[in-house]
Parts: sequence; structure tokens; C-alpha cells
Amino acid sequence: MSLIEILEGPLWKASATIFVVFAAFRLMMILFTGRRHARARPAGSPAAGALRAILGHFLPWRALLKNGKAWFVILAGYAFHVGLFVLLLFAAPHVEFIREKIVGLPWEPIPRWGFIVAAQFSFAGLIALWVRRFVDPVVRLISRPDDHIAAGLTFAVMLSGCMALGEQSTFLRGLHLGLVELWLVYFPFSSLMHTFTWPFSRGFTGAMAGRRGTRA
Amino acid sequence: MRIVLFAVLLGLFPGGVTGLLQAQENTAIISAEPGPPNTLGTRSDTEIWHDLRLGAGGLVNPSTGSPEGGVLINSEGWEWSKLRNPETSPVIRYGSWGLLGVLGALVLFFLVRGRIDHGADTGRRILRFRLDQRVIHWSVACVFVLMGLTGLAILFGRPFILPLIGKEAHSVLLTASMQAHNLFGPVFALFLLALFVKFLRGNFPAWVDVKWLLKGGGFFGGHAPAGRYNLGEKAWFWTAVLAGGALSVTGFIMLFPDYLATRDTIHLSELVHAIAALVMIGFSLGHIYLGTIGTRGTLGGMVDGHVDEAWAQAHHDQWLAEELGRSDSETAADPIPDAEVQEA
Amino acid sequence: MTHDTSFPKHRSFDKHRSLPDEVRLENAMAGFVAEFGPAAQTWMNACVRCGLCAEACHFHLATGDAKYIPIHKIKPFEDAYSLTHGPFSWLNGLLGRKPKLTIEELGEWEELIYDSCNMCGRCTLACPMGIDIAELVKEARRGMYAAGLLPDRLARIVGNAEKQHSPFGTPEDFRRTIRKIEKEYGVSLPLDREKADVLMTLTPEELENRHLGVAGMARVLHHLGLDWTLCSDAFEATNFGYLSGNMELQGELTVRLIDKARQIGARMLIVPECGHAWGATRWEAAKWYGEPVNDIEVRHIVEVLADAVEEGRLKCRPVGESVTFHDPCQQIRRGGLEEKPRILMRALGMELREMDPHGTEGFCCGGGGGVLANDRAAPLRLKAFEIKKRAVEATGADRFVTSCNICEMTLERDITATGFEKPIESLIDLIGTHMITDQPPLKAPGRRTARKPAERKPAGRKASARKKG
Repeated sequence: MSLIEILEGPLWKASATIFVVFAAFRLMMILFTGRRHARARPAGSPAAGALRAILGHFLPWRALLKNGKAWFVILAGYAFHVGLFVLLLFAAPHVEFIREKIVGLPWEPIPRWGFIVAAQFSFAGLIALWVRRFVDPVVRLISRPDDHIAAGLTFAVMLSGCMALGEQSTFLRGLHLGLVELWLVYFPFSSLMHTFTWPFSRGFTGAMAGRRGTRA
Repeated sequence: MRIVLFAVLLGLFPGGVTGLLQAQENTAIISAEPGPPNTLGTRSDTEIWHDLRLGAGGLVNPSTGSPEGGVLINSEGWEWSKLRNPETSPVIRYGSWGLLGVLGALVLFFLVRGRIDHGADTGRRILRFRLDQRVIHWSVACVFVLMGLTGLAILFGRPFILPLIGKEAHSVLLTASMQAHNLFGPVFALFLLALFVKFLRGNFPAWVDVKWLLKGGGFFGGHAPAGRYNLGEKAWFWTAVLAGGALSVTGFIMLFPDYLATRDTIHLSELVHAIAALVMIGFSLGHIYLGTIGTRGTLGGMVDGHVDEAWAQAHHDQWLAEELGRSDSETAADPIPDAEVQEA
Repeated sequence: MTHDTSFPKHRSFDKHRSLPDEVRLENAMAGFVAEFGPAAQTWMNACVRCGLCAEACHFHLATGDAKYIPIHKIKPFEDAYSLTHGPFSWLNGLLGRKPKLTIEELGEWEELIYDSCNMCGRCTLACPMGIDIAELVKEARRGMYAAGLLPDRLARIVGNAEKQHSPFGTPEDFRRTIRKIEKEYGVSLPLDREKADVLMTLTPEELENRHLGVAGMARVLHHLGLDWTLCSDAFEATNFGYLSGNMELQGELTVRLIDKARQIGARMLIVPECGHAWGATRWEAAKWYGEPVNDIEVRHIVEVLADAVEEGRLKCRPVGESVTFHDPCQQIRRGGLEEKPRILMRALGMELREMDPHGTEGFCCGGGGGVLANDRAAPLRLKAFEIKKRAVEATGADRFVTSCNICEMTLERDITATGFEKPIESLIDLIGTHMITDQPPLKAPGRRTARKPAERKPAGRKASARKKG
């Protein structure tokens, strides 16, 4: 079995399994263990508060609208995330891969120019945000090794993906796939889990605020 | 700004455009006029080939809409292929010598002069680069390194890397380099534009630059006066902006050849792209040297934003005086500086 | 019903810091995660270190110091959490891995957790992930408390609250003070009635320095025709257990109030102007009973007055000046009472000039959450006051009002220290002095309690307070 066959076969299956099993396990542990307290008689609707927070925190907080740093984080953050999702779900090779390995039904890939635009946004956002981790004393102080590893792995995955864009080289395809597998294995044990925890995090806070008749 | 630069470039190198116009004029020369019996026309083969060589059109269908639709042989391509050929290319030859020369000069300078030191630190730190400037600087730097490495691989790969790693590995390296180079190009252009905006202030020529130059920039001992940026930094700023601008414009032309260019402009773009890249990379080596091991206390200014006042006195005395004067009046008026100013 | 005895007993507070460091550290970590449920666990797993919480925190904004970033304040506990509850915790158990933290390092965080956080929750709103950092700091205080790491002065106050019923003093002290206030202002303060509809509570600050405020409040309650009482064995509204991280004390203090209200057959428990008391009593009491407290309505005095205004039972003579309002974090941002004080200011005919920012976005006074009681934090607090000062100045309002004792005390001290020209006033006092009522007026007190350091218009306002109040 050649290296690429291993990467596309057993290693892919193993890493995908680790990702699914452990991410689900971690999420279950987070959501279903620990103490639950009785809550006060509500003054407002916890459900409405949760919904409000889940949606509301997509936008910058009103009090930070005049804050340049906040705008930087928000714009770079959106550029990175939106770009990444477009690449992840709609890049032609990904659509093909998803059809082949995961679900049977293909969906429409984006055209090449769309891929390029998405990649620009994604890279620009990720680089600027990562650079900031080093040069902003505030963010440098709170950055954990995990934050750098997560950013670095994601960057490596994206870079190798772009390098393989010519689809001429098995080596480059293998490199990209190998990095993706590494990323998948790292994911459930890292801050990358924010991919799944964000709605709950916002939701719990929002429900608390909703119960109290205020907003979060 | 890019459009202006593009126009300037076209103005400076009109060869491609005039060649094209010539080609269109010559189209009429080859006609279907019947010649003597047993001949294919009134003109000799030599003449026909001569005309074609100069770009004359022929029986090709000109209705494709492309400006070159009627051109059989693009003679500029000859020149271009010479430029691309590792054996004959002056760009590759002089470019590699030039970069090696810069590296050698830096090593020599380090051996002779050593690390430039401003003497004892005062312990008082002063803000030199704001957070937004630091973020944009390092963002440009990261993308520049990536673009530089992939670009150098594309330019120097065949003469220098291929013999080392063989054809197969080289082809992998090149396709990877090209894809990454193409994808990061627009990011570089975007970041460079932001860099231009964020660093423009303080980078205009001033009288003190002449004094700085007369003192040899302090590179060989002695104190050279300077404002926020010295002449060397200003030269680097404008080189980076102009060379980077040229790289961006020509890069976009090569990224979207179908929309932005004729073949001649692409050839020209490649030449300009390569020269601008070599100039910028060469200059960047000096910049990186001086910013890191070359002078003590410089790197901190771009990492946490602050430099020691002794450093500022040694390298940017006029700027330090301005800053100290300004911050005195500021603190008096406003005991809590806003987050933008004090950030650290 | 008394409080839920199944609630876990916490390891005892290391009063003399005499336990071995290892045990203290272990207690700290256990204390931190003891109350963790899905919400706290999700928060701990959602942070991506974007640093936006820094832009919300008054202590960070005022000093520019990176260490005051909200999420940084819980760092040692986060490390411990990842060791005990993190993705590899099962592995750590097998390998016998221990926190790398030392008790000294944890001690360095004492300042960050107690001096530089009011648990005001501004960072919570700034967080893109909606992480409730204020709540996590509260959990962290439980850990710090368990390790005996809390500011000395706060520890003393907690000790008083444990030993003498209240930081103010014993039930006997309370009875004496209430009688004194009655005499001073000629108002009747129902005390220790066996049955009453409403149980009224007070704060130590009111009992020590703000007798006029107590008298005014009593007069309003009389005017509203409420059947109310104070109880000498359940008068303390503030909850230093909540502020210090002493869980047992927090439970005891809350349960004491609710149980007392039930005992006298009250249907309502009124929390005075204090902010954290509102949070501890209204929003956290259910925790100690294992179910919502449905039979007793816990209401804030501002809420009671605003509802009376809206129902037309309370009318005021117009004050007529412009006013700006400091939003107490625990009442407004985290308490849901944003509209209530504004109703009262409208009732007083005042032109409200809102600060930028205000309401749920407003900056904290800097003294809540036990910071005011912790006097070593005063210099830091003063820096944070600059933000508030500028916001107040920018409104150009005639008067500066708030509805929380702690905010008022904090701002008062900051105003004195900085020589700011606008005094801070209590909204409840303004209602008390401008209420239109048949109630007998308050007697002018023989000895004034000095509480306003710099009166801009002393004559007019004080006179009206004396004459009509």
C-alpha cells in the first residue's frame, strides 16, 4: 500500500473517527456532567434570552462600536471564518472528496474565482490575527500554546491545500491530507472545540440574562 | 495608485505596445493578390517570413476579438524566451549575483562594524510603533517571506534547485510554489496598501536626511541625526511601496492575463516583476539585518512597540525630542491616555 | 423548609493559612470547580483568546495594564480545570500529574481576582463567545477562599459577618441603631413584628452612615401603606459570603432572610439599594433550596418604588434639574432593572441625560464585588473612576444620581479623593424627600451625618431636604 493510499484509506478513517468520537464525547462531558442548580423564578424568558445572545453576539457589542481593536478582531475574524467555511465546503476538490468519502450527494462547488477570493479573505484574516498574538501585549499574555498550535495547524492545512491546487502532484495531495488528519486528531482536545461550544456558551449566558430580564 | 503605476510602467516600456500597433499596420501587406503562374503570390518566401517575423497577420481568423488574433509569430516571444532560459537570462545571472553580493556585504559589514549599540539603556521605554502598525508590518513580512521564497523558487528553481533535487521533486516544488504564490499575491497587495497608509506619516524627505547622509548614516561610527525615520528607512519604505506596487500590478496582470493583458504586456510584466522582486528582496535583507542582529534594541520597537530612550536618542534624536515634548503636554491634559495611545 | 442539606460541604477556609501548601492548592482547585455545571464548563471550553474582554474592563482601560484582562484573571484556575476536567484529565489521573502551580503563584492572582474585578459583567457582553467571565471569577473566588487567599480586610469583614450576624454588628447593635434613627428623625421603624406582609432588609452602610436614607425609606413604605417590619435576626442584606467566595456563608445569609420571611408570613422581601445583595437574594436563593423561591417575592426597593409610581400610588414634587444616572451593574446589567430607576427619575420631573455608555453598557463604579471593602485596592479604583468621571462630565447634567449603596459609597470616596465637583446622590433619598404624602415630615436631625463631601449647591438642596423631607 502506497503512502497516499494509507493516507486516503486507514489514516483518514482513523482520524475522522477520532474527530467524531472525541468531539462528541467532549461535548457530552461538557453539557451533561457537573452540578445543576435550581434557578430563580424567571423575570423574563430564558429561551428568548438564549436566542438573543446566540444571534446577537454575531454582531459587535454596541459599546465597542467606536473601538478600533474590536473592529479589527471582528473583521479579521469574519474574513478568516467565512473564507474558511467557503473553502471547506465548496472548493471543487473538497466537494469531490466529500462526495466520495462522506456523503453520497455532491453539491455545487464554487467557481475558481470564488475559491481564490475566499482563500484571500481567509489567509489575510488568519495571518493578521495570528501576528497579533505576538505583537499585542494583551493578547500575547493570554495566548496559550494551544492557541498557537491551533492557528499554526490550521494555517498549515490551508497553505498545503492551496499548494496542492494544481492537482498535479500526489505528494502535495498527500501532504494536505496528512495535515488535515493531524488537525482532525488535534481538534477535539483543543480550543478548536469552540467550533461546537460557541452556541452553548452564548446560549447559557443569554438564558441567564433572559431569566433576569436583562440581555447578554 | 496601482493604476497610475501601471500607466507609468507602460509609458516607460512602450516596446510591446508599439510592436503591436506595427503588427496591425502590417496586416495589409500579405494579400491574396495572384502572382505569376506556378507561384503562390508576388512575394518571395524570404519576404513573407520576414514580414511574419515582424508580426504580420495572415490567414488566421482575426474575428476572435483578441488584439493578437491576426498575429502569426510573436517576435517578442524570442526575447522573452531568452530571458527565461537559465543559460542566457541576464535576470537570473545578475539577480543571483546581486543577492549574493548583498548577503556578502552584510556579512562583511557585520564582521567589520559588529552590532551597532547605543550604549547603556535608560530603562525608560517610549512607544515607537502602534499596535496597528506592528500587526500590519508583520502581516506584510510573513506574506513577503512566503512570496519571496516561492518566487525565488520559480525564478531560480531550474538553474539552482533542479540539479540538486532532481526533476520530479522540482516539479512538485514548482507547482506548489506557483499555487501558493498566486494565492498569496493579492493578500500581499492588500497588506502592502495598508502598510503604505499606516506608515506614510514621517516618511517624506526632510532636510535632516541630508545631514544623516553626510554623517554616513552613523553606520561607520559617529552620530547621525534623524527624525521619526532616517533616510535609509525612508528609502526602504519607498522602495517597498514602489517595488511592491510594481509587483502587485504586474502580478495581477499575470494572474488575470485574459482580462488585463496582451502577450507583450505579460512578457513585460514578467520582466518588471522579476526585477522589482530582486530589488525588494535585496533591500529587505539589509532591512532584516539592521532590524535584528544589526542594531541592538531595534526589534523590540516592532514587537512590543517600545524602544529605550537611549536607542531613540542614538538613532532618532529629533523624533525623541518631539515625542517627549508631546507626551509632556498630553499627560498634563489627560491623565488617562486612551487605549490607543498607551495600549502596552 | 430550610435550605438544602444535600448541598456539598466545602473544605473549610484556611483561616490561619496554616495548612500545608499542597492541601491549600488542592482545596483551591476543588473549590473552583465545585459548582461547575454545563454552563461553566462550556465557557471554559469556548475561549479563543481574542482579547476583546480587555476592551470592556474598566481596570484594563484605565491602567492599560495587560494583567487586568478579564480572562487572564482566572488563568491559574483554567490550568487546574484542564488538568482535572480537560480532555486529558483521565490520562492525568493515570500518570499522577499534578498542577504545576505553586501557592505563591496562586497568591499573585489574589490581586487580580479580588482587587481588580467587580464581577460587573461588562466583559461578558463584549465576549464574542458570550463567556460569562464575571461568573467564572466568582467561581475562582471560591477556590481562592478555600486556600485562604483573600485580602485581609475582606477576610475580617467575612469573619464579622460570620460571628456577629452582620459586618455592621449584632442584633442588639441593630435594635439600638433602629431606635436611634426613630428618635433622630421622628419616624416609626417597625421592628421584630411577629407577622408582617413585607420583610425589609438594610445594608451596613445605611445603618452606619445613612440614617436619613433609612428614615426616608421607612416613610415611603409607610406612605405606600405596606404592612412591613425589620427583623433584628435577619436585617443584613449584603452577602459577604457571595463576595468573598465563602459558599457556606453565602448560603446561610440567604437562607436566613428567606426563612425569616417565611416565618413571619411575609409575601415580599425587599432588598435595599445594595447591588450584589440583589443578585445573591433574587437570583441565587433558589440554589440553596433546590427549587425556585415562589412563595416569597424578592423585590428591590427601586422596583417597589417604580411600580408604585406606575400604579399612581406614589407621586413626587418635580426636582426640575437635569440628572445623569450611574447604572449599578448588579441591578441593571446583571439584574434586569434598567427601566426602574428611569421611571423614578421621570417621576421626579428630572431631565435625564444619559452617559455614554449607559444602561447595560455602563461602566461599573469600581467598588462593587468586595473591592470597596478591600482598601488596598483604592489606588486602582481611583484610576478606574477617571472613566466614570469623564462620562459624567460629558453629560453636563446638574446632578449625579445612583440607586446602589455600594456604588454611592465608592463614587463618594472617589469624588472626595479627586476633588470632582459633582456629588453623588441617592435616588431613593430623592424620592424620600420629594414624595407627595400625608406622612408626618421627618424631624431635622440634631446631628447631621456627614456624607456629602462637596456640595455644589448645599444650601438649596439640604434646606429642601430638611424642610420637606
